[in-house]
Amino acid sequence: MTGPSVQGSPRRYRIAVDIGGTFTDAVLRRGDGLVRSDKRLTTHGDLLEGFFAAVDGVLAKAGIAPADVDDTIVHATTVVTNAVVTRSGPPTALLVTAGFRDVLRIRDEHRYDMFDPQIEYAAPLVPRERTFGISERVHADGNVDRPVEPAEIDILARHLAAANVESVAICLLNAYVNGENERRVRDLLAERLPDAHISLSSEVAPQIREYPRAATTVLNAYTQPIVAPYLRRLSEVLAARGFSTAPLIMMSNGGVLGAGTAGRFPVRMVESGPAAGALAASHLARRLDLDRVLSFDMGGTTAKACLIEDRRPTVTGQFEVDRVYRFKAGSGFPVLVPAIDMIEIGAGGGSMAAVDSLGLLKVGPDSAGSEPGPACYGRGGAVPTVTDADLVLGLLDADHFLGGDMALDLGAAERAVDGLARRLGVSRVEAARGVFRVVGESMAAAARAHATDRGLDYRGLPVLAFGGAGPVHACFVAELLDGDTVIYPPLASVLSAFGALITPLRYDLARGTTGPVDWERAEAATKEMEAEARAAMTAAGCPPDGMRFSHGADMRYAGQQNEVTVAFDGNPVAARDRPALREAFETAYEAAYGLRLSDLAVEAVAWRVSAHGPGIAGETQPMTATAPGEAKGVRPVHARAEGETVPVYDRAALSAGQALAGPAIIEERETTIFVMAGWRAAVGEDGCIVARREG
Amino acid sequence: MDGIALEILWSNLIGAVSEQARALQRIAFSPVVREAGDLACALLDRDGRMIAQAVTGTPGHINTLAAAGAHFVETFPPDGLAEGDVLVTNDPWLSAGHFFDITVLTPVFRKGRAIAFFGSTIHHTDIGGYGVGAGARDVHEEGLWIPRAKLYEAGEPNALLHDIIRHNVRTPDEVMGDLAAQVSSGRVGAQRLQILCDRHGLDDIDELADEIISRSERAARDSIRKLRGGTYPGESRFDIPGGAEIVLKCALTVDAEAGDILVDFAGSSEASPHGVNVVLNYTHAYSAFAIRSTLDPELPNNHGSLKPIRVTAPEGSIVNAKYPAPVAARHVVGMYVPMPILKALHAVAPDRVVAEGAGAVWTMQIQGSDERGEPFTSAMFNYSGGMGARRTKPGLGATCYPTGVAAVPVEVLEAAMPIAFTRKELLDGSGGAGRAPGGDGQVIGFRMRTRDPWLLNAVPSRLSAPAEGLEGGGDGRPGRFLINGKPSAEANKMTMAADDEVLLETPGGGGFGAAD
Repeated sequence: MTGPSVQGSPRRYRIAVDIGGTFTDAVLRRGDGLVRSDKRLTTHGDLLEGFFAAVDGVLAKAGIAPADVDDTIVHATTVVTNAVVTRSGPPTALLVTAGFRDVLRIRDEHRYDMFDPQIEYAAPLVPRERTFGISERVHADGNVDRPVEPAEIDILARHLAAANVESVAICLLNAYVNGENERRVRDLLAERLPDAHISLSSEVAPQIREYPRAATTVLNAYTQPIVAPYLRRLSEVLAARGFSTAPLIMMSNGGVLGAGTAGRFPVRMVESGPAAGALAASHLARRLDLDRVLSFDMGGTTAKACLIEDRRPTVTGQFEVDRVYRFKAGSGFPVLVPAIDMIEIGAGGGSMAAVDSLGLLKVGPDSAGSEPGPACYGRGGAVPTVTDADLVLGLLDADHFLGGDMALDLGAAERAVDGLARRLGVSRVEAARGVFRVVGESMAAAARAHATDRGLDYRGLPVLAFGGAGPVHACFVAELLDGDTVIYPPLASVLSAFGALITPLRYDLARGTTGPVDWERAEAATKEMEAEARAAMTAAGCPPDGMRFSHGADMRYAGQQNEVTVAFDGNPVAARDRPALREAFETAYEAAYGLRLSDLAVEAVAWRVSAHGPGIAGETQPMTATAPGEAKGVRPVHARAEGETVPVYDRAALSAGQALAGPAIIEERETTIFVMAGWRAAVGEDGCIVARREG
Repeated sequence: MDGIALEILWSNLIGAVSEQARALQRIAFSPVVREAGDLACALLDRDGRMIAQAVTGTPGHINTLAAAGAHFVETFPPDGLAEGDVLVTNDPWLSAGHFFDITVLTPVFRKGRAIAFFGSTIHHTDIGGYGVGAGARDVHEEGLWIPRAKLYEAGEPNALLHDIIRHNVRTPDEVMGDLAAQVSSGRVGAQRLQILCDRHGLDDIDELADEIISRSERAARDSIRKLRGGTYPGESRFDIPGGAEIVLKCALTVDAEAGDILVDFAGSSEASPHGVNVVLNYTHAYSAFAIRSTLDPELPNNHGSLKPIRVTAPEGSIVNAKYPAPVAARHVVGMYVPMPILKALHAVAPDRVVAEGAGAVWTMQIQGSDERGEPFTSAMFNYSGGMGARRTKPGLGATCYPTGVAAVPVEVLEAAMPIAFTRKELLDGSGGAGRAPGGDGQVIGFRMRTRDPWLLNAVPSRLSAPAEGLEGGGDGRPGRFLINGKPSAEANKMTMAADDEVLLETPGGGGFGAAD
């Protein structure tokens, strides 16, 4: 898909780097769509080492110097999640309203697994002895009942200094309505502790519910002393190496922002890599003219899925990090910032298969990881995994895994699967096929549940497959979702980095409110958010004429406890248009829940503003062969039926316009596409492969 | 059926009922449903046997929904039902033990034959009568009694029944809205089951149900067979609003040959004059829960895995209340039902039991007027004490076992009514000492922002009898319920002065093992 839609000078270079848990990927795009990529192991000791190794790699492949990169460098990174999971942040304190010191320990009192009395929760990032109460009070209507006493903050500052506190989170009751007391505490503290980082709940996540707001503010405070210097160093090293452009950072909401704003709000970067993957998926959906897509990223330990609706990824206002107990929802911390709405389940290539006490075949959530890894890795693993089953079924080739760089041990895989077969009383191949089917079913079930939660119909969703194991399983998952289309994008192994590359600037803000709609306060909140967003967008290099605002709210019927996030077409707050406000809410409510309750009053609990930068060109030059490729061989595959003879192709040898009838295997270095019988795959102009169910 | 085919069908059934529950939780009005997750959804076969449940809710709802199935089928045999019928009841003795919980059952038809039911039970915002609390003198004062009936008949709403319900509750919009949510979530489940049957070419799920139930029953019996046979005593004491002390005694008999357990509550306290009495359905629900969560929490909960557990209690005792005993606050006693059972199980599964904990959550409801004189009635809200210690892990603070419902956030309550909280913190040292200490209770203080007297309906418990430690672990500290600093032991609604301050100190859990 080259041609008239390509924008920009052909000589502009843009780079994106995605640091994930295992790999660091870099993608470089020239203005005319030429793309180069590089993949390195993530260097956990110093993440920037891997960053620059990958950058040097793509520069060398393109034959250019750092100074030639005249467009932007975008960065997605796992640095925040790492800091949380390894608890490597510095001593951090939490200041709360006096009398509410245990907000992080009491949580919401919920036991997330009713049947299991042995459950555990993630340890709070701030211990009790560094949580301090302040004598102050703001009521739910925003009135300050008791102002902050400077003398008290004086004493507190001395305590904090004595405890070597580097960062402070402040989360006072009802600060989501009025942050005056929080700001007062900050100003007083800043005079006394000039070097401390300070995070306010009224700035980080000004939304109702004290526990998730406190957890979010604490996460921000805890990671800020790591992330802010990291981003500063990144900018410095880039400049020192001769890059002329300041970096942009990928945020979890699916937008990029300047390093300064990102450093103030590291909590907004938590899921930046996966968000970039979802952005790539929505880009491809637009290219293929599909309104809705289910992106399906299956890697080594988990599978992630995201719904692309109206060609945009769905965004949620709350998610969870650091699930410590068997991946279970509720065992981690809530985070109240906008993020791409994703489900993640413990079903990846390394997921282990077992027979439970009922004689049922179960796959995951426990994973063999990369050490020892699946039995076929030959590193001492003996438990059968999804990858072992795929190898036994002939879906993978023992001699061509990672392009042949890593030989797989078929015998070890067979022995592992045989153990399963004996317990199930079925043949080896039947057991392996069982693993293939069960893991597909769990992914389909998770996708159905995700769609039901959002009031969407999952049936017929096209599936976009990437990640090491995604393309192997996507066709089957699509069938289980009554789908008839699977998309295998080019650059699948570096798709998150590619997503970051084409992500426009975006900043989302929310301000909590209560009671019936008060236009004056709503307008003030909106103006405040627009000003904050404008400053952040400008700092990230957004031209004033390229900036666009959209408005929304979290609303509910009066008396309800949960709200619906509503996106407005215009801005009913500025227009003070009550019927339009109600209509927007009821349309969204009806879409989600299938009914309207027109005799009930409607209220808002938060106002939202999003700022958007100009779109980024993302067309890529085709990476296809010039003549149709022949099968390089055949092999028996047992995934759907016993011993189907399936032709095997090299993806790089296929040409644009070439079509293949399933069953077929298409191999690339990092993954394998399995096109099932009854499906037909076609290679697009840009190298995208689309499989469609026939008949 | 092999372990692969069965796993796929079974996980799809659980998926269908989970989606029913998700749909219900999204749509419901009742805050305890949406914010606290106080709901149950289940798939029953055509004989009313539970074959799958959603992973949500409370033991009191899920296991009573399992029991309600048989009662429905007895009155409405599946072959007499028509497509579009929807069944309903809130009979305490047939379902969840008090009028607030309404159970709705939606039959699923294939080729004109009823093949299954999707059921749900949720706690409604109001049911008329006395309201929240233990103050009614008999069950009739507690509100509207809906016998087993058709809420919809062949797709048409039962207009008279709808009208009766609407006229007998204080919050008709919410109750009718939540009933509609139950009906539409049942439809979601039914639709998912139809798709599953289409995909797998099934006309019914009879064989699948038999397989699920027989395998589950076998696994449950096998895990009981690993225990040492014999009869083991357990006894727990606690006090209820008004100050009366309740004794729950049980004799737990493990038949290691048959693989079943009988729990006999002979010797337990007589029914109370207050509305804290428990019907046998509810006693069974919490008994089975205690045993299942101790022995094999991973095993799916269904008719088969529940079958090896039998429960008896003397008629007229507080755990087998007879008509017309008041039952509205039955959770107060019901949530203590697991405690004597855990003590008895300690003899055979000492590594897996939990020490005694705070027991029931403390529920609150407030009526009054705000500073401008506008009247309000709050929804029910609740707070937990500390959970008992596990052998190798401390008890969780301010977290309830057996139930696990969430508390409504302080800010949500302050936004919804003129209340101002003064404290909500853990009570240091209130959990019993021990090698593994018990979970701490919490202290919660509040006052109202009003100029007028207000009504407080509080249901605290364990104000004198502590949660006992296990194996030499210390007892938890009992709770305290203070008004303006003075202990109160009122069983009924209290009229409070405008500036009264309420302080709740929920009990701590028992410790496990002697402290070093």
